[in-house]
Amino acid sequence: MADEFAKGLFVLTGGLLAWMVLSGWYTTESFEEGQLIAEVTVSQIDIYATIALTLRDALFWFMILGALTFWVLIPAAREARAAWANRESGSK
Amino acid sequence: MTDTDSDSEAATDGGEEVRADGTGIVAPDDETPTWRERKERSQGLSRLTYEYFERARREDQDLREESTYVERDVLAFPTWPHELIRNLSITFFFVGMIIFLSATLPPHIAAPADPSTTPAIILPDWYLYWSFGLLKLGPLNPEIALLGGQKLMKDATYGVIANIVVVGFISIVPFLNKGAARRPVEQPFWAAVGVFGVTFAATISALAVKNLLPIDPHLLFDLALLLPFVTGFVTYALLKTMREGYMFSLNRRYYRLRPPK
Repeated sequence: MADEFAKGLFVLTGGLLAWMVLSGWYTTESFEEGQLIAEVTVSQIDIYATIALTLRDALFWFMILGALTFWVLIPAAREARAAWANRESGSK
Repeated sequence: MTDTDSDSEAATDGGEEVRADGTGIVAPDDETPTWRERKERSQGLSRLTYEYFERARREDQDLREESTYVERDVLAFPTWPHELIRNLSITFFFVGMIIFLSATLPPHIAAPADPSTTPAIILPDWYLYWSFGLLKLGPLNPEIALLGGQKLMKDATYGVIANIVVVGFISIVPFLNKGAARRPVEQPFWAAVGVFGVTFAATISALAVKNLLPIDPHLLFDLALLLPFVTGFVTYALLKTMREGYMFSLNRRYYRLRPPK
């Protein structure tokens, strides 16, 4: 249980950190306004920018889905399996 | 650490693999772990933690047995390596984080401040907004009928006195309530006072920046003074209700940590 929490937290914070760095490079207009979530600021989207922007989106969803997986889905699946096993043994 | 311990070298952990089930190291007694605890210690991080502490304890015990010094019964871990390894790893993590962030996201350095012009909006740092908000309590400054509808003091003076009153109340609170409650439900009134204070700090801070908030200033002023009472009363009612099913006196006796007066 505690391990799952740590994994979820690692995914959330690690993904957020990498997302923040990529957003600081590519989608930050200035540090006064439009930090991290502005439109793409580089003039020409070369191969590096393409990779970085793809990775940025991927990390965003990795962060959300990863935390959801470890904090909600896996514990819920375990609970459901335990409940199912209980029900099976109870019916016998 | 290597596996090539020669026989002549004194092995600090007794030369045998540490058994993590709680047997063998000490004679079974009241502190012998339950089956549940043994299972929890049998693998992974929990086993590692257990072995770590068990080894530290074993080293301590060996040293105590070898020593001729009788009163060496100190319950503590050595600073090196036990404490320092942990502290160094934490330190390295944060130093690394600082280096990583300063390398990847160098901070924007704004234009230098111009000392010859005054900015349009003057505000203190955010954590002093509450005090700044107290200076804006002018509408509460009463007009005395005896003075022919004049005010006894200026609004600015009134704001300063409001600061004194609030800071004075905050410094009196520890003398009114010694904080014997372990949880809010044990003393609903003081919990409500605390919630009142937190809400008031937030609302009075909001009042300090009323120019920037998209709310009607008069409504904001009323809210700043009414919301703390609302949250305070709701907290009090809620905690009173919770107290019904709480077996308050039993818990109070059970958890009493201080001797009765």
